Amino acid sequence: MSTIRQQLASPLQLLALATAGIILLPLGYVTARALSADRAVWSRLWATRIPELLFNTVSLAASVAVITLVLGVSTAWLVTRVEFPGRRLWEGALVLPLAMPTYVLAYVYSYLLGFAGPVEHLWQLVAGPQARIFSPHSYGGATLVMALDTFPFVYLLSRSALLSMNVSFEEVARASGVSRLSTLWRVTLPLMRPSIAAGVALVILYVVSDFGAVSLLRYQTLTYAVFQQMTGRSDNTAASILSLLLVGLALIFLITERWFRQRSRFYQTTGRYRTPQRHRYGWLGTLAVTGYLGLIVGAAFALPASLLIQWSLSPEAQATLDSRFFGFVWNSGVLATSAATGGVLIGLPLAYLASRRPTMLNLSCLQAAYAGYVLPGPVAALAVLVLFTRLAPIFYGSVLILIVAYVIHFLPAGLQSLEPALQHISPNLEEVARTLGLGMRDTWRRVTLPLVRNGFVVAWVLIFLQTMKELPATLLLRPVGFDTLAIRVWMEASEEYFQLAAPSALLIVLLSLPALALLVSKDWRAA
Amino acid sequence: MPFVCSLPPLRQTILSGLLLLFAAGIFVPCAPAADKLTIYSGRSERLIKPVLDAFTANTGIQIELLSSGTTELVNRLKAEGDRTSADLLITNDAGSLELARTAGLLRPLNMREIERAIPSQFRAPDNAWVGLSGRFWIVAYNSTMVKADQVKSLLDLADPKWKDKIAIPNSGSEYLQAGVSVILTTYGEEKTKQFLQGLKTNADTQVYQKSSQIVEAVAKGQVALGIVNHYYVYRHLAAQPEAPIAVLMPDQQEGGMGAIMNVAGVGIVKSTKHLDSAKLLVEFLVAKAGQKLFADLDKEYPLHPDVKADPALVERKSFRAALVPLTKLAELREPTLALIEQVGLR
Repeated sequence: MSTIRQQLASPLQLLALATAGIILLPLGYVTARALSADRAVWSRLWATRIPELLFNTVSLAASVAVITLVLGVSTAWLVTRVEFPGRRLWEGALVLPLAMPTYVLAYVYSYLLGFAGPVEHLWQLVAGPQARIFSPHSYGGATLVMALDTFPFVYLLSRSALLSMNVSFEEVARASGVSRLSTLWRVTLPLMRPSIAAGVALVILYVVSDFGAVSLLRYQTLTYAVFQQMTGRSDNTAASILSLLLVGLALIFLITERWFRQRSRFYQTTGRYRTPQRHRYGWLGTLAVTGYLGLIVGAAFALPASLLIQWSLSPEAQATLDSRFFGFVWNSGVLATSAATGGVLIGLPLAYLASRRPTMLNLSCLQAAYAGYVLPGPVAALAVLVLFTRLAPIFYGSVLILIVAYVIHFLPAGLQSLEPALQHISPNLEEVARTLGLGMRDTWRRVTLPLVRNGFVVAWVLIFLQTMKELPATLLLRPVGFDTLAIRVWMEASEEYFQLAAPSALLIVLLSLPALALLVSKDWRAA
Repeated sequence: MPFVCSLPPLRQTILSGLLLLFAAGIFVPCAPAADKLTIYSGRSERLIKPVLDAFTANTGIQIELLSSGTTELVNRLKAEGDRTSADLLITNDAGSLELARTAGLLRPLNMREIERAIPSQFRAPDNAWVGLSGRFWIVAYNSTMVKADQVKSLLDLADPKWKDKIAIPNSGSEYLQAGVSVILTTYGEEKTKQFLQGLKTNADTQVYQKSSQIVEAVAKGQVALGIVNHYYVYRHLAAQPEAPIAVLMPDQQEGGMGAIMNVAGVGIVKSTKHLDSAKLLVEFLVAKAGQKLFADLDKEYPLHPDVKADPALVERKSFRAALVPLTKLAELREPTLALIEQVGLR
C-alpha cells in the first residue's frame, strides 16, 4: 500500500500520467466523435466513399509491400553476399531515398512522368508521336513513388538480418550439396522472414499514413480523404469517422510489425560470429549488379536530387531566395527544435519510469505514448484541434497546438531510441554511484546522463527531422506567418510550379542527409 | 528541471537557449504590432499578395497573410472566436462569406465608400462582407480537340460522349459547391443529381485540387474540357498566348440559366483590434485604383461599375449571368453538400 502511495506521490509519476493522458485524450475524442455520429452519416459514407477509400488504401499498401519486398531483399542480399567493386558505396547509397520526403519524390515524378513530360517525349521517339505512358496521377504512380521512397526500410532490416545471421546454416546446406539458389530459397530467406515481415509492416504503416505523395498524385486514400473532409466541410464528423477507420487500419499493421519483431528474437543464433563469405562476381556479374543498383538508387535519389539542383539554379527559383525564404527556414527550424526538445523532455520520464520502475501503470503510460504511430498527420491534427477547442480554446491558433500535435505524432520515433538507451544501463551503475557517496543529482550528471546521451541525441534528431518534413498537421494547424519549408514545397508543387518548389525541397533533403547518416549508424528504425 | 541544472555549463547554455526558443516560438506570433493587419485568405497567395503589397506601399501598414482553404479558414475563425488574431477574411466565394456572416464572425460596416463603389447585389445587406471581383464558372476547352458549338451548357458535360475527356475540381472547392447550388436552385434535385453522377463518371480520376492544374491539363490536351473559373484560362493565356485553350461561356442558349457567377470578397472580422486600418484596406480595395489592380491582376471582372475589365476578357455585357442571389449560396450550402456526398464526388 505504501509503495502505491509513494508512486502516486512522485512528481515524475504524475508527469508521466499527464503525458499519457494528453496523448490518449485526442484519440479518445476522435473515437467518441466518430461513434456518436448520426447513423445516417455512417451509412452515407459506407454507401459512397468508404469502400473506394478502403480499397485504394489497402491495394496501394499491398502493391508497395510486394515491390519493396523484392527491392529491399534483393539489394540487401547483393551487398552482403556478393563481392563486387564499389560494394561498400552502394551499401550506403541504398539508404539515401529515406532523405527524400514522399511529397518531393511525388512532385518530381509528376513532372517526369506527367503528360507531355520528358519520359513521355522519349517514349514517343520510340513508339510514335501519339504514344502515351501511364499517368503518375494514378494507382501505378502512387505505387512507384511510395515503393522507391520506402524500400530502404526493408533493405536495412534484411541487411542486418543477413549480417547477423549465423552463416553455418548456409554452409551446412551448401556442403550437403544443395545448390546456391536452393540454399537462398530454403535456408536464407526463411531465416530472414521475421525481419522482412517487420520491414514490410513498417512500409505499410508508412504508406497508410502518408499524405504528401497521395495528395500530390491525387490518389484517394483514407489519410488524404480525412484531410479533404477537414478542409472542405464545416463539421468534422465525417473526418472523424474516416479517421477512426484509418486508426483501426494502422493499428492492425502496427501490431503485425510488433509481433514479427518479437518473433525475430527467437531466430538470433548465438554461434560464433563470422563475416559471411561473399561470392565474387566476374565483370559481367559486376556490370549487371551495378546496373541494377544504379537503376534503383538513380530512380529513387540521384535523378530526383539532380533535378532539384537544376531547378534550384533556375532564375525563377533564385528569385524566391529572399528574406521570406529565410523566414520559412527559420520557422521550420523553430518548430522542429521546439518539437524535438519537447518530445525528448516528455519522452524521458516515460522511458525512465518504464525501465526503472516497470509497474503496470508505468508500462501502460509508455505504451500509450506509442499511440502516435497510429495517428497519421491529419488525424493527429484533427484530434489536437478537437481537444484544444473543447478544453483550452485559448491556445487555438498558437504555435503550442502545433507543437503538441508534432510531439504526439513523433514521440514514438523518439521513444524508440530513448527506451533502449535507458534500458541498456544497468541500474547497478547508479546504485554503485550512490553507495560511493554521490548524491542523486551527481549520479544523474556523472553516471546516467553520459550513458544515455547518445540515445538522447538520436531521439532529438529523429523528432527534429520528422517535424521538418511534416506536412498535413502543419497545413491544418499552422498559426499566421508560420509557413515552413515543407508547406512551401507542397503549395508550389500542388500548382505545378516545379522550379519554385525546388529550393525548399532541396534544403529539406540536404538537412536530412547528415541526420540520416547519424541515424543509420545508430537507430534507423524510425527514419 | 533538475537535470538541466546538472549539465555542464556549455550544454546548459545550449539547452536553455533551446528552451527559450521553444517559449519564443509559442508566444511571439501572438503579439501583433499596432500597424499590422492579419488576413486570412482563401485565395492563393499568388493571386492576392501583389495587391496587398501595393496597399502596404501606400499606407505603410504591414500585412501578415495566412493563405489556406476557404472553408478551413471559416472553421478556424469559428473555433478561435474572439481570440483570433485575424483582422480580415478574404475568400473566393460569396457563400462562405455569407456563412461567416450568419455565424456572427464578421462586422457590419457603415461606409459610404463601399455603397458608392460596389452595387448592392454584390455585398451583404449590412456590408459585413463586400464583393471585390466577379468570376464566372466556365467551360475551358482545348480548341484543337473540341469546337465551341459542341457544348452549350455546363450540364452537357455529363453526356457519356465526354467520358474520360473532362477535368473537374474536387468537391471541397467552394466554387464547385457554389456552382452546384446554383444548378440545384435552377433545375431541382433530380436533374442536379443526374448531372453530378455524369460528371463523376466522365471525370473519373481527373479530379483536381487546383484550378490551374485543370487549365494546364486542358491546354496540354490531356483532357478536352474542364470546368474552372474563367480567369485561370486568361492567366494561362497571358503566360502562354499560343496555348490551344479558350473560354466557352455556358448556358447562354435561349431559356438557359446563364453563366454561374461568384465573387471574391472581403469582410472585417468582428473582434478586430485594428478596425481603422482594416477599414482603410477595404476602402483601398473598393476604390477605383484598387478595383483595377485587384481585378486585372487575376483577370477578373471588377465590380465597381466605372472600372473596365481587362480587354482580353469576354465583354461582360455580351453574356448573361444566372439569377441566383449571392446571399442565397449560404443557405444552399447544406443541401448542396448532402447531394455532393450522396453522389460521392471526390
